[in-house]
Amino acid sequence: MEQIGNMIGWETVKMVIGLIGVLAFVVFNALILTWAERKVAGHMQRRIGPKEVGPYGLIQPIADALKLLGKEILTPRDVDKPLYCLAPMIIFVPVLVSFVVIPFSSSLLVMDINVGILVILAFSSLSVFSILMAGWGSNNKYALIGAIRSIAQNIAYEIPLLLSLLPIIMMTNSFSLKTIAEAQSGLWFIFYQPVAFLIYFIAGVAETNRTPFDLPEAESELVAGYHTEYSGMRFALFFLAEYTNIFIVSAIAVTFFLGGYQGPFLPGIVWFLLKSYFLVFVIMWLRWTFPRVRFDQLLNISWKALIPLSFINLLVTGGLLKL
Amino acid sequence: MTVSPSAFIQGAGSLLAGLGVTIKAMFQPVVTSQYPHQLLSISPRFRGHIKLLASTDDPGKNGCIACGICAKNCPSGSINNIEGEKREGEKRKTATSYALDYTTCSQCGICVESCPSDCLAFSADFNAAGFKREDFHYDLVKEFEKRKKTS
Amino acid sequence: MVERIKTELGAALEGISIAEVNYRERGYHLSLEVAAGALLKVARFFDERGFYLSAIICVDYKEYLELVYIFSNHTSLCKVKVSLKIDPAKPVAPTISTIFDCAYWHEREIREFYGVLFDGHPNMTYLFLHDGIDSYPMRREKVPVSDEDKRALGSSRPGEGEDTFFVNLGPQHPSTHGVLRVVLKMDGEYVEEAEPVLGYLHRMHEKMAENRSYQQFLPNTARMDYLGPMAFNLGYVTAVERLCGIGVPDRANYVRVILTELNRLSSHLMWLGAYLADLGALTPFLFVFDDREQINDILEPVTGSRLTYCYFRFGGLYNDVDETFITGTKAFIARMRSRFVLYDKLVSGNVIFTNRTRGIGVISKERARKQAVSGPVLRGAGIAMDIRKMEPCAAYGELDFEIPVGTRGDALDMYHVRVREMENAVKIIEQALARLPEGPFMTEKVPKKLKPPKGDLYHTVETPRGELGIYIVSDESDKPYRMKWRVPSFSNLMIFPELAKGNMLADAVAILGSLDLVIPEIDR
Repeated sequence: MEQIGNMIGWETVKMVIGLIGVLAFVVFNALILTWAERKVAGHMQRRIGPKEVGPYGLIQPIADALKLLGKEILTPRDVDKPLYCLAPMIIFVPVLVSFVVIPFSSSLLVMDINVGILVILAFSSLSVFSILMAGWGSNNKYALIGAIRSIAQNIAYEIPLLLSLLPIIMMTNSFSLKTIAEAQSGLWFIFYQPVAFLIYFIAGVAETNRTPFDLPEAESELVAGYHTEYSGMRFALFFLAEYTNIFIVSAIAVTFFLGGYQGPFLPGIVWFLLKSYFLVFVIMWLRWTFPRVRFDQLLNISWKALIPLSFINLLVTGGLLKL
Repeated sequence: MTVSPSAFIQGAGSLLAGLGVTIKAMFQPVVTSQYPHQLLSISPRFRGHIKLLASTDDPGKNGCIACGICAKNCPSGSINNIEGEKREGEKRKTATSYALDYTTCSQCGICVESCPSDCLAFSADFNAAGFKREDFHYDLVKEFEKRKKTS
Repeated sequence: MVERIKTELGAALEGISIAEVNYRERGYHLSLEVAAGALLKVARFFDERGFYLSAIICVDYKEYLELVYIFSNHTSLCKVKVSLKIDPAKPVAPTISTIFDCAYWHEREIREFYGVLFDGHPNMTYLFLHDGIDSYPMRREKVPVSDEDKRALGSSRPGEGEDTFFVNLGPQHPSTHGVLRVVLKMDGEYVEEAEPVLGYLHRMHEKMAENRSYQQFLPNTARMDYLGPMAFNLGYVTAVERLCGIGVPDRANYVRVILTELNRLSSHLMWLGAYLADLGALTPFLFVFDDREQINDILEPVTGSRLTYCYFRFGGLYNDVDETFITGTKAFIARMRSRFVLYDKLVSGNVIFTNRTRGIGVISKERARKQAVSGPVLRGAGIAMDIRKMEPCAAYGELDFEIPVGTRGDALDMYHVRVREMENAVKIIEQALARLPEGPFMTEKVPKKLKPPKGDLYHTVETPRGELGIYIVSDESDKPYRMKWRVPSFSNLMIFPELAKGNMLADAVAILGSLDLVIPEIDR
């Protein structure tokens, strides 16, 4: 082992192991989240959710995955083949890159880049490309309308997302997520920046296209939005990306506002996962309670409410830091 | 978006009230019954397909006198082929064949009401299932004989 | 009111005899027969006095076709029947869709079913039927459709504009309305034109009525509106009882009221769940089904069915109700009141919901009258008319309840009107249970084969969706000669194209949901 390490470089080995771990975690996380979503939805609606397949329906996600794998990989006629086939693959790039920099615990971190959060935000803008490719390449007007809506929504909500994280970055003087998590060993930042937390959370829910902001996927109007024409494994990839995005949004919120992996008694990773999954539960809770916000209202919330509010918050924070 | 502070607080409060409802519902017991594992109780007036009842003077034979009133009154023409014979020493006819096409029956109850010898009733068969239409073409006389054997 | 109309009408039209009829037997107060030339004048007369056009009915009497127009009033009970006789060989009549907008679809329906050409109607094309029918379906004898007629009927083709494209909403639609297809001409996000396409669920119930006896038609009534079948059942049974002069014992009347109100509650609950599912909140849909299942569990031991009830009979009920029904309903009412609180917290105050529905789909009183909308849509628009108060049948006249009215006429008002109607339904059930008399549940002497006396009857009833009008023409045989069902969703849907114009697609879906349509009753 030592010799291999010396030959290739310890760092490279660590990164490869980390990437494999990240991939495994992404798949595992998606399985858990599909099961959890159906169970949470079920119990909020006074019913059980999946229960037949395995105890408490735990094997259900595997059954779903097998079903999706078994479907014919259909490419409709007249689609723009390169765009249509690449879109589901490209949507995974921001997801995987984001995982590289998130600190699961003080030692479990694939790579501690000193511009960590910038990497995440920059790559998450790439998902816009994927949506556009999916919508345009599908040769379907519903998909196109859904894609256009989704892109407008994503662009509109990226700004408050960044602006609400800036105060924290100002306070800790660093873009690295590990440093930010370490800086909360005293008091969590949510007590210093409650408004920023709210803005970040709302913007995060909107970025991942979850209800109440899921008009691009509105089932009762446009069938399924930009992934209408996808079936089988390609659809599964979009789905996977959406659930992983939910986890990433929660993970960043935890790292920036809720102390990351800090916590007494239990090991860091347990705290991290507990806090992240709690926020994921809150996101699911929102989905099963509220109706959809109409598209123009959605954009209004971002441009006319969240962005001014986050600017004010930024100014106030800057002023207070100076004093 | 100019929103007055009171409207904002009211709006936020309404959202929290909604969240409170769903989280409370999450910890309440489920209201669904797990069907194949938990059997349902069928009320006595449930309208399954009709069945012939035994005649009042001789429980061994069915009470149908093959008059055909039910077939004439049925709005969908589901009842056909009613035949009966009057055996030796009996006061009235007894049905020997009674074809019910359950696929066109609308469970209205007109046949049950108009039977002069009150020999039709609704069964409690709520989970009838089959692979072809012919599975639901019942001969009620044969069904009566089958029930007689098993009871 | 009736006297005043009679004298004014007599003064306005010379030479036309206006007969005053027995309202109890006929369902309308005045009857007059006009020639084609005077029809527009009569229509304008009623329009000026604030009447609305309840229905246009065509009856084929072999030697002539008769067009029957029923004019009704929102504020006081006054119904007028205007009939116009047409030559069956060349059936032509003037259109009144320029004066009363609701005649637009009624006349289209008569055109394709009877072949009557309406002069001046903007769009005489197929409404329910498809291209290439060979004969007019509702005529008593087989009258073939001429080629010229076929071309005229099938000539509607939508026109494409430069920047617009067409989106089909339905017929397979996740918003559970039934099989409705709306062709929307969209300009980006905004709807320019909306054209509903009907007929996907057309089963010719009216023709079936002509071929079945009165008793044999009973199961059909429940299949027309499967969310509010008790009200349809009630309307039909009371109409035939009125025609034949059959009395009903008090116990049966009270039980009919209780069951119809339970059904109204169940129908409004379903609307609530489906409307919120349209808007994206999927949880109230499941809560609503919990309540509906409780209602079904009460109704099943009494009627035997859970969805399409065939329980009322001429002269009373199929069988009696027992103690478990009464205790079960009382327990249900107590629980339902706490559920209203729950729905209030989850839905009514929710700021996202109010922002989606406030100011959307505003119906003014004038448009509501011209389009003859009825039910909660009419009351949401601001007109306080409820047939349960105006023409009470069963035991409604003896019970105390209020009529909720909206102020703005938008979708949020429709929501509040329906929620208050649900609360009133609970109030009615409570009162009826408290006053439920003992006694027989069926009248003694009801003939096995009903042969009503010759004549016609227009009977109205308030279903959860609005005014249901049943027009029966009897020719002394045991089968009706003509039975027309004027269903509320038909007129309520007619107002949708003008409401949807200029709105976004999401708003168009919200407006469609607020009208509470059930397509099987439109298509009959």
